[in-house]
Amino acid sequence: MFALIGLVAGVLLGLFLHPSVPLWLQPYLPIAIVAALDAMFGGVRARLEGVFDEKTFVVSFVGNTIIAALIVFLGDQLGVGSQLSTGVVVVLGVRIFSNAAAIRRKLFGA
Amino acid sequence: MMGPVNVRDERDGPDAPDGAGRPVQGGPPGRWRRPDASMSLLSDLFEGRLADPGYAAAAARRRAAGNAPAPRRLRAVVALSLLLVGVLLAVAGAQVRRGEPVAARQRARLVDEIHSRTRETDALSRRLDRLRTETSRLRAAALARSAAGRRADRDLAAAETAAAARPAAGPALVVTLDDARRPGASGAAGDDGRVYDQDLQILVNGLWAAGATAVGINGLRLTPTSAIRTAGEAVLVDYRPLTGPYQVTALGDPGALRAGFTGSAADQRLAALRDRYGLRYGVADEGRARLPAAAPSAPRYARPAGEKE
Repeated sequence: MFALIGLVAGVLLGLFLHPSVPLWLQPYLPIAIVAALDAMFGGVRARLEGVFDEKTFVVSFVGNTIIAALIVFLGDQLGVGSQLSTGVVVVLGVRIFSNAAAIRRKLFGA
Repeated sequence: MMGPVNVRDERDGPDAPDGAGRPVQGGPPGRWRRPDASMSLLSDLFEGRLADPGYAAAAARRRAAGNAPAPRRLRAVVALSLLLVGVLLAVAGAQVRRGEPVAARQRARLVDEIHSRTRETDALSRRLDRLRTETSRLRAAALARSAAGRRADRDLAAAETAAAARPAAGPALVVTLDDARRPGASGAAGDDGRVYDQDLQILVNGLWAAGATAVGINGLRLTPTSAIRTAGEAVLVDYRPLTGPYQVTALGDPGALRAGFTGSAADQRLAALRDRYGLRYGVADEGRARLPAAAPSAPRYARPAGEKE
């Protein structure tokens, strides 16, 4: 419940405050979002399966986001940024889909 | 808070039974702990296991500690994390929406730049024309002082007219050529009804042969070295793309020109194209036409290898 309120409040905050993203951070924003979504879906699934743990969620959220951005940064330095971004998106996308499928099974039994 | 723990997940926990290759006690029959457990993304995926084994580990740890509820502080941190997710989402959305007009603005700026540069070029070429007129006037005045100078001036005028280096005006014959209307007259493919560079070349050569003193296409003066060619779907005249309808103006006595042109090979070919493919083709007299000077092109001479300049 708190979590949902936090999410909605965050969206509203972002929409109203319009924080401008510094230019050097812009390439990492989409990847960070995908990583954050992955952590979020993982948390929702764990909650539905009854094994949710706050500390694990926070650590995985922060860790995934930072590591995803770091990988892209490293790729940019090496000249393979777009390929590495694709790799990160594919892996996280697979995880998001599998978690979403599990959530769907828990919620709708289908 | 604690629901039924998925037994299978516990294998990944710290207190999971060790021993590769042996069936796990308590697990569903036929399940094995893999030797490749570290490369577990795909196998986890196919088995439908929780993608993040940390949750299972934490659950096992907590059950061992006796189901203590999480402290309030941690819950606040969770809410804070999700707040961050929300902010990220909103910012990214706003960023994308802000990015669209930026792209449109950049394109508009490029288009503006093209227009302004074209205007600049036009102004410069007008200035060039003016200066060239001025130069030739001064030259004529200087040459008019002596008989030899006057003779040289006459020779120069003839040469310049032949080289299309000075504007020309007079009565003219105007030949109009255009692509066939889209539904081809004979139902031919769209490409057949187009005016090709060859058609224009033959027409221009036919007009020269009929005695034209100066020829221009769509107001662009042709020189003896002008090239008419096709690039993609555009006809390039001296590397400048022209679009139909093509108006080929030939200066000269209209009667003589018409007499020389009618029935020539070029006329016959274009008439055949008109009848067969629906190309639009017409010839008209014009009392007084004016053609600008062409940009002078320095002639380049070939010389035998080894010979000095």
